[in-house]
Amino acid sequence: MKKLFAVLLALSMMVTMLSVACAEETTIKFWFWADNDDYAATMQEMIADFNATNGKGITVVGEQYPWDGGGYSQNLLTAAIGGGGPDVATFKLTATPSFVGNDLLAPLDSFIDAWEDKDQINESLYNTMRSAGGEDAIYVMPWNTQVLYVYYRPSMFEAAGVSVPTTYEEFLDACAKLTRDTDGDGKTDVYGFGMRGSNGGQEPWGCFIYAGGGDWEHLDSEGAIKGMQDYIDLYTNGYAPETAPNDGFAEVIDNFKSGLTAMTIHHIGSSAQMMELFGDDVAAFVFPKGEGQWTSMGDTETVMFESCQNKEAAFEWMAYLATGKGQETWCTVTGNVPVAARVQALDQFQSNPFMKVSIEGAPVAGILPVRDTTTEWIGNWPSMIQQALLGQISAEDCMKTLQETLWAE
Amino acid sequence: MDIRRRPREKSTIWPYLLLLPVLIVMLSVVIVPIINAVSMSFQSYNLTKPKKIGYIGLQNYATLLHDPLFWSSLLRTAIWVVFGVGCQFLFGFLLALVLNKQFKGRGVVRAVSLIPWVTPGVLIALMWRWMYDGNYGVINDLLMRLGLIKENIAFLSKPGTAMPSVIVTIVWQGIPFFALMLLAGLQGISYDLYEAASIDGATGWQKLIYVTIPSLRNTIFVTTMLRIIWVANSVDVIFNMTEGGPAYATQTLSVYIYKKASALDMGYASAMAIMLMLVLLLAAIPYLRNTFRDQEG
Repeated sequence: MKKLFAVLLALSMMVTMLSVACAEETTIKFWFWADNDDYAATMQEMIADFNATNGKGITVVGEQYPWDGGGYSQNLLTAAIGGGGPDVATFKLTATPSFVGNDLLAPLDSFIDAWEDKDQINESLYNTMRSAGGEDAIYVMPWNTQVLYVYYRPSMFEAAGVSVPTTYEEFLDACAKLTRDTDGDGKTDVYGFGMRGSNGGQEPWGCFIYAGGGDWEHLDSEGAIKGMQDYIDLYTNGYAPETAPNDGFAEVIDNFKSGLTAMTIHHIGSSAQMMELFGDDVAAFVFPKGEGQWTSMGDTETVMFESCQNKEAAFEWMAYLATGKGQETWCTVTGNVPVAARVQALDQFQSNPFMKVSIEGAPVAGILPVRDTTTEWIGNWPSMIQQALLGQISAEDCMKTLQETLWAE
Repeated sequence: MDIRRRPREKSTIWPYLLLLPVLIVMLSVVIVPIINAVSMSFQSYNLTKPKKIGYIGLQNYATLLHDPLFWSSLLRTAIWVVFGVGCQFLFGFLLALVLNKQFKGRGVVRAVSLIPWVTPGVLIALMWRWMYDGNYGVINDLLMRLGLIKENIAFLSKPGTAMPSVIVTIVWQGIPFFALMLLAGLQGISYDLYEAASIDGATGWQKLIYVTIPSLRNTIFVTTMLRIIWVANSVDVIFNMTEGGPAYATQTLSVYIYKKASALDMGYASAMAIMLMLVLLLAAIPYLRNTFRDQEG
């Protein structure tokens, strides 16, 4: 009897030790991108905070990868298919079909339904996430959004005698008037508009297409071609830097920060840097309405991979980012628009002028069509636009090709 | 009888056993991926359309034969290789001749001249990208100060200047390789040959043509061949400087393959990669013939 008791005791101790060991060893590999080093450091601090406070023995290991104008999504897909992907990753909705089509993502419905913070996030956002997967399941967890708007330098507007444009025509006119030779040497010193002709430029470009009268479904329509022609004219008339065809995110932001451009399009993620540099001499407005109006909702979500061994632990981390302390920290530092109602209500978000413009732009903000052609279309977009900007093809030919490739079956 | 045979059998198997680890490694990292690429080139293998993955025969090859981007990229590859490798060789040879002379500080110059070769391609590309920048680049600043230009040139944003700009970068990177290899060759040439040429009254130029270059024939041949293959396959410099733009102006076949593979169209990318491999094999045939002839001789 004693022997049996001793054996049972030893076994129960082993089971306890094993379960403790297992709990301690729950590691979640997390991939993310960050727009600059400060944001990357913030993410690592959030991870350290979560690891120290979750009380469930979950250790998140964060690995930073560059966004690379969308190359991140392709690298993530390749890694996941090859078996080397993470458990959880930051994500863009447009990439959903490729991942769902390859059965890589774990459905989140059961986790969300049982989650006490479920109602912190607006139902419409869940619906957007659900529609992106193309099935009746949510694969993508809301995290934060960024609405693209126009940054401008009030001092340059004043010097050029331009007021904040309220219509598309006024905006185009402002681009012309803000382009100036400030020192009288016959060369342009300030360009009206910082144009992004390289990777990622399709989102600000979309504003012109809608203002011209087009939309994503009809890129070859008369209105869309007009928007494209306006875009070309801005470049060929010299209202954008000559380097515009190859300018990506870093270049357009640097050009604005150096005073080379008077306006450029980006989201609230750049506002902290801008305010630090310019103080009060930077402001923003929603891209004005022409025939139509659209701006990009730069969504960022998180996803859990089907290969994740401990999905409950992974969801704990996703919840921390979506409605927990991670939501507040990340949105405070980056200035992104929070998705959790509790965080949206905080003073720091209510009093931020750039947040105000983001919220103003939200009703006309949308995302690119989520199709299995979208990833390749985004990759080809710079080459097509560069050809049009450099006069190798017409606006009409460019838009026809973009329409055909986006909506190809 | 048996006693005599055993050692012979052992000696027959032993070399193969020694080669086995290398063969296994070669099989895993070279042969299997090539077979895999060939297999994928006959498939519709687009990871964004996983339900359509399957064999489609020669369709990818038929498509690329009618793809104007494939042919224009192939032409740009030829320009990239001819000018890139040609200038690397020329300047590398000149540098090797200089470094072969005795002068004060030669060791330091030799070490410094290696820097471009040991710097990672991505870093080189980013460095040159900023140097060429049309708004803040140091090259524009220098040209402006020298009074050679009146307005900044957007080197990487204009089709006419983008390709020459990336070629200059790859030339800068590759000069040390040629210099180093040719210098090693130069140091292997017997001084007696130069002495004999001097006695025969040869000028410096004649020594170069009739002694130096013939003595370096094999080195020149091997290094040029290797560099042609490397440069034709290189993606890092172009992609990080221009991503093949503007408007495809710097898109070589390797960059096109990379972009297609990045867009997850592995089938079409594999078909183009196989075509590039065949083209490079054609270029490598003289090298292979030369190697085998030397071995037979």
